Amino acid sequence: MLRFVGRRLWYGAWTLAALVTLTFFVMRLAPGGPFSRNRKISPEVQANIEAAFHLDEPLWQQFARFVWGVLRLDLGPSTRHRDYSVNDLIASGLPYSLTIGFWAIVVASLVGVALGIAGALRRNGMTDYVAGTVGVVGIAIPIFVIGPVMQVIFGLRLGWLPIGGWDGTWRSLVLPVVVLALPNIAYISRLTRASMIETLRENYVRTARAKGIGWRRTLWRHTLTGALLPVIAYLGPATAAIITGSILIETIFAVPGIGRHFVDAALNRDYPLVMGITLLYGGMLILFNIATDVVRAILDPRIRNER
Amino acid sequence: MIGKAGRMSRWLAGATMALALAVTPALADGVLDRGIGSEWSSLDPQVNFDAAAGWIMMDAYEGLVTYGLGGGVQPGAAESWTASEDGKTYTFTLREGLKWSNGDPIKAQEFVDSVLRTLNPDTVSEKGYYFYSVVKIKGAEAIANGETKDASGLGVTAPDDRTVVIELETPAPHILNIMGAFQIPPLHGPSYAANGAAGFVDPAKVVSNGAYVFAEVVPQSHVLLKKNPNYWDAANVAIETVKYHVTEDVSTEFKRFQAGEIDITYDIPVNQIEEVKASMPDQVFITPSTETTYYSFNLTKPELQDINVRTALSMAINRELLQEKIVKGGAIPAYSYAGGFDPAYEGPMMPGFELSQEERETKAKELMAAAGYGPDNPLKLTIVTTVAEDRVRLAQGVSLMWKQVLGVEATVEPMERKAWLDAFYAGTWDVFADNLVGDFAGAETFLAYMRPSAEPGYNWVKPEYDAQMDVAATMPDAASRNAELAKAEKILLDDVIFAPIAKEPLRRLVSPKVGGYTPSVTDYINSQFLTLAP
Repeated sequence: MLRFVGRRLWYGAWTLAALVTLTFFVMRLAPGGPFSRNRKISPEVQANIEAAFHLDEPLWQQFARFVWGVLRLDLGPSTRHRDYSVNDLIASGLPYSLTIGFWAIVVASLVGVALGIAGALRRNGMTDYVAGTVGVVGIAIPIFVIGPVMQVIFGLRLGWLPIGGWDGTWRSLVLPVVVLALPNIAYISRLTRASMIETLRENYVRTARAKGIGWRRTLWRHTLTGALLPVIAYLGPATAAIITGSILIETIFAVPGIGRHFVDAALNRDYPLVMGITLLYGGMLILFNIATDVVRAILDPRIRNER
Repeated sequence: MIGKAGRMSRWLAGATMALALAVTPALADGVLDRGIGSEWSSLDPQVNFDAAAGWIMMDAYEGLVTYGLGGGVQPGAAESWTASEDGKTYTFTLREGLKWSNGDPIKAQEFVDSVLRTLNPDTVSEKGYYFYSVVKIKGAEAIANGETKDASGLGVTAPDDRTVVIELETPAPHILNIMGAFQIPPLHGPSYAANGAAGFVDPAKVVSNGAYVFAEVVPQSHVLLKKNPNYWDAANVAIETVKYHVTEDVSTEFKRFQAGEIDITYDIPVNQIEEVKASMPDQVFITPSTETTYYSFNLTKPELQDINVRTALSMAINRELLQEKIVKGGAIPAYSYAGGFDPAYEGPMMPGFELSQEERETKAKELMAAAGYGPDNPLKLTIVTTVAEDRVRLAQGVSLMWKQVLGVEATVEPMERKAWLDAFYAGTWDVFADNLVGDFAGAETFLAYMRPSAEPGYNWVKPEYDAQMDVAATMPDAASRNAELAKAEKILLDDVIFAPIAKEPLRRLVSPKVGGYTPSVTDYINSQFLTLAP
């Protein structure tokens, strides 16, 4: 098992290194720089500003500086947000993104699995149809439509929840979490339903029931462990996607997370901030994938033993 | 038995509903909530360089002068000032007993220190040009360029604790426009020495001298300001708390305004303008700003070196139609470049202004034919613009008008902002959808920018213009200076190196709870002058 994890981590590290290197150089290909302005300040001052951020150095040297910084866990100063280092900005934004991401995945898993089980157990019943409809709607309607519609309904019409911003209470969490969770509820419930239906037909489940084991125990011990495998496989990348995919959510609901920094940084050519967030997002994506593999390996010996 | 699992899912759905029902609506809280668009670039008073941060700065700091509702200059930290006969020396006298937010007395030297820190290359501030370019303070450029570290040559001095003297190389009657908190906030020496620049974003450490002090700073979220009890005019500051919200998404900001979460917005969604004008006319403020849009012609391209072609292109644009029917963002059609900001400046208009649009179009066709272009030999151009929706619409409108009136085939090339800036200096355009934000509401800030020596990107060689601007720069009083500036603008407009298009608007929604809101071109709206009904 340790060897299995070690191997995954080793490949993951190389993937991350390749991603970061590529991002670094591709970003420099984009026209414009962090201090492009349409008002010419004196060339000396311009040069001085660029030198302060080491933009006057040859590219390889800037890259070496970046790598050295990463090794020391120092991502450098932000060129757009002059008061903060990239570390500061990530430290301030990440908790918001993680909070929303965490609750979204919790809600999506609980509701999704519940709906999926309900659908599978009462196939073609009322719950199944409702879950199926919710699923199609959740997948088909994009976040940037659902988000504003929810704002209008729950914020403007009903006045129950704030439209945006972060007031430090759970109230500003509800809408972003629900909107972020919706498409995943849809996927997870469909995945669970399909997998449940398949598992319920398996011989070992029938055998367990035939041996006189109660429905509850069969469901929890025999059916679910098997049926949830594909769901768990989906959860790893989904968790990473939810946390990184909250960019749109953060903009629509004015949440001060790092997703917004990412877009803003790219548009403003804030090289250090783009690199910092790429590293973070890339690292999270890879780690969650590895975690998924590990969990699946624990649940399914066939995976752990494959070469 | 299967029913139990079904019940569980129904229970979950019910719990979600119950949770939603338990929520209570938001209540009024006595805080002035203002939208600022994108996040402030910096809260370092010598470094910040954007309008959004500007408002926060104007609330938290006070310069030698301040700007009242409507934008007029009025005494700030300085109670009075005098200008010398030659207009080159300004002497400011500070109010007696001024205090920092921590109770320390404010000394005149702290205004000098502020200018010095702004100019110091180590500060890496882009604002130094206020002091060596917008007005030319003695010795400022040498310090900014790093030629000298010696502060004794600088023309900003404090002969005593209540006097700030500014010595200029050339007269600058517009100097008071850059003596506000955005440009010249004092620098509290002890806290800066102790905390460095990091202290400016830490509410526990920052010491300021404005009507408000920092209470909370959350990147990408908000800045919370509380009334400063040590401010000299605290008795007349009505609003206790001001919260500046980052409102990047304009439609979210609009909904937050409707829900009462924001009292003064940063913008109005362009596609909602008609609707809000009809539904809440008393809350909509669409007024001119100091931003002007013009379409520059590339003078290195042979076909555009012909002034007849440039004039024809400029005249063929129906500016009124463009704004009213195509862009619909509230911009004001413009026929001049530097005029319209300062009511005291009477500038010239572009060639053909005296004609009707129909006559202009007829004239444009003649000029184009005379230049040798016609249906079988159409002029082909590219218009480089930013990707912002209204900018693209504007460019498409212009392209359409050129096609219809002159048969010109103009393709619109939208570019992301930073790429657009780079494209300008690379010269990879025929027509550049250009814009400029003035440093103050006057003609000079715009005209100085067009000096071939100041902005070589236009490739415009015109010694007469530079000479005329030099003449204007020697004028100590506003009236004669404006007269000379107008002559310079005539040279500029007559050469048609660009087509004036529009003066861009400020678009705000202001809650009826807010009292005193008066828009101004420079957009200075200090919270200290506003009131808030409960």
